[in-house]
Amino acid sequence: MNNTFKILKKELIEVFRDKKSLSMMLIIPFLIPAIVIGMSALFNAETNKSIDTYNNIGFNYELSEEEKELAKEMNIKVNTIDSKKIKDEYDKGNIDLYITKDGNNYIINGNENETTSYASSLMNSYYTRYKEILQKKYLEKSNLNADNVINIITINENIKVKENFYSSYIINYAFLFIIMAITVSATYPATDATAGEKERGTLETLLTFPVRSKDIIIGKFLSISLSSIITGVLSLILADVSLGIAESKFKIYENTNLLLTPSQLLFAGLVIIMYSLLISGLCIAIASKSKNFKEAQSALTPITFISFFPGMIAFMMNIKISYVLAIIPFLNSSLIFREISDGNIEIMYILLMIISSIIFIALVLKLIISQYKSEKVLFNE
Amino acid sequence: MIEVKNIKKKFKKQINKKETIEFFADNDISFEANEGEVIGILGPNGAGKTTLLRIIVGILEPTSGKVLFDNKNFKNNEIEIKKELAFLSGNTKIYNTFTTYELLKMCGNIYDLDKDTIEKRIDEISKKLNLTDFLHSRIANLSTGQTQRVNIARCLIHNPKYYILDEATTGLDIISSQIILDFIKEEKKKKKTILYSTHYMEEAENICDRVILINKGVVIESGTPKEILSKTKTSNLRDAFFKLIGGVKDE
Repeated sequence: MNNTFKILKKELIEVFRDKKSLSMMLIIPFLIPAIVIGMSALFNAETNKSIDTYNNIGFNYELSEEEKELAKEMNIKVNTIDSKKIKDEYDKGNIDLYITKDGNNYIINGNENETTSYASSLMNSYYTRYKEILQKKYLEKSNLNADNVINIITINENIKVKENFYSSYIINYAFLFIIMAITVSATYPATDATAGEKERGTLETLLTFPVRSKDIIIGKFLSISLSSIITGVLSLILADVSLGIAESKFKIYENTNLLLTPSQLLFAGLVIIMYSLLISGLCIAIASKSKNFKEAQSALTPITFISFFPGMIAFMMNIKISYVLAIIPFLNSSLIFREISDGNIEIMYILLMIISSIIFIALVLKLIISQYKSEKVLFNE
Repeated sequence: MIEVKNIKKKFKKQINKKETIEFFADNDISFEANEGEVIGILGPNGAGKTTLLRIIVGILEPTSGKVLFDNKNFKNNEIEIKKELAFLSGNTKIYNTFTTYELLKMCGNIYDLDKDTIEKRIDEISKKLNLTDFLHSRIANLSTGQTQRVNIARCLIHNPKYYILDEATTGLDIISSQIILDFIKEEKKKKKTILYSTHYMEEAENICDRVILINKGVVIESGTPKEILSKTKTSNLRDAFFKLIGGVKDE
């Protein structure tokens, strides 16, 4: 058996028998369905907010018959309140918004918040329609054809919705959470296999074995990568299942397809494997330089956030993949996943990502192997 | 045969934010260890024993000088030499998540032993060191003495030619220490070469054929215990050591 695989076997026994490493590897992915379904439920509740939650309007004047009819039609609850008391009623939360009238000037009053915003939008529509009714009445009184004047031009919208905002949002966030889960899953075994081994005093034993530093590092790297790949693949499966559940349960995803196709899953799996290898290399490089477990954990904590940022920024700024961006580690995985989820699988981008990741991993491993001969790194002397 | 030739090891030590000092942990140390010999490397804490033994087993590189095992050096024969070596120190820990059997099997695999040889060796060693009762128990659940026996078993699995033992009895109770000392005597009978560092002078006097006294990285005396006692006109190695360094005040 090759020395690297002997070390890998030893490392895997340690990882799979360590409760903390196992829980990081297997429990974190189960948070993803909770996040996907929770976020979807929130979006859904927000979008389908009932009119009853913002239609309680105060008026400081008696509504005309036309207004009363229109209010009834638009499901507006009318509260006629004295001008002196109307603000107090609003401040107490008894009404969602209040209207003050001064001659022909109608003022929509309120403080900026979510309910007021919905109520204000409702009242703007209400007064637009009321204005039309008055205009029509005036024109008819002057024997003019009101329809010809009011509807002198007609406007229709023909904007094709390219993507459902919510579906794009939830898929991208699901991927970012997968990235985070992989990173968290890589940090613990990386710390344990390097700084932990140093702290427990087993490193000296390991160094006296007839194996080269190269075999030790590659064996450790492969075991950490394997544990993060398990987390990544499990997270991807759970994310896809939860996206499927969300699609069937929530109205906001109507007419969209959240579930990834087998080929999309395959390519997403490839992106996840490359990311796992990349983050495992980086984690082991940082942790191996630390004197002890605590120092390694402190050094690796920012990695969890740093790994999340490129994808987050790319998503928020709507950055699209290009050949240059496809070779930038960490950023490329988020951008390529986005393309995959949109159904645009371009092999060239995936190839560039694989090549750049392999180069990056090789450089990182070369650096760690050279460091692993250094007394400063091994014994802090 | 182990030949240690003019080993020097320089370290840098940071004394404050701006200043670092250089010092020799080992300064021009030479000796030879022949087949079947137990060589004691004696000295107080900080004398340079651990650094010297780490250089000998190839986990530290000397600043200058060389170590030869049957005329082979680490530079060209690292794996070959390591296969003939066993290193056990007071600080050497073993993998707690493994069972005794798994650890021995893993070590056997690393030393390239075939499956049948590994099983045979585990069987022999576990009978010899009384490991049978806890052969399939996790090392984390063993007592200190049992763990030390497992550690010795780990060193024996590949039947090495050379044993490098660094303060192997430090911190152990009388029974656990005796296990190590019996192990040394046993292996000596088999013509194994053993380097044994300790700061317990009496222990060394009993089991070592020759001793090398080190202080502040320098060999201050070497020879058989009898030769050293006769040279220093003392009755034990402890007194001999203090006489050689000019008394305890100098320390």
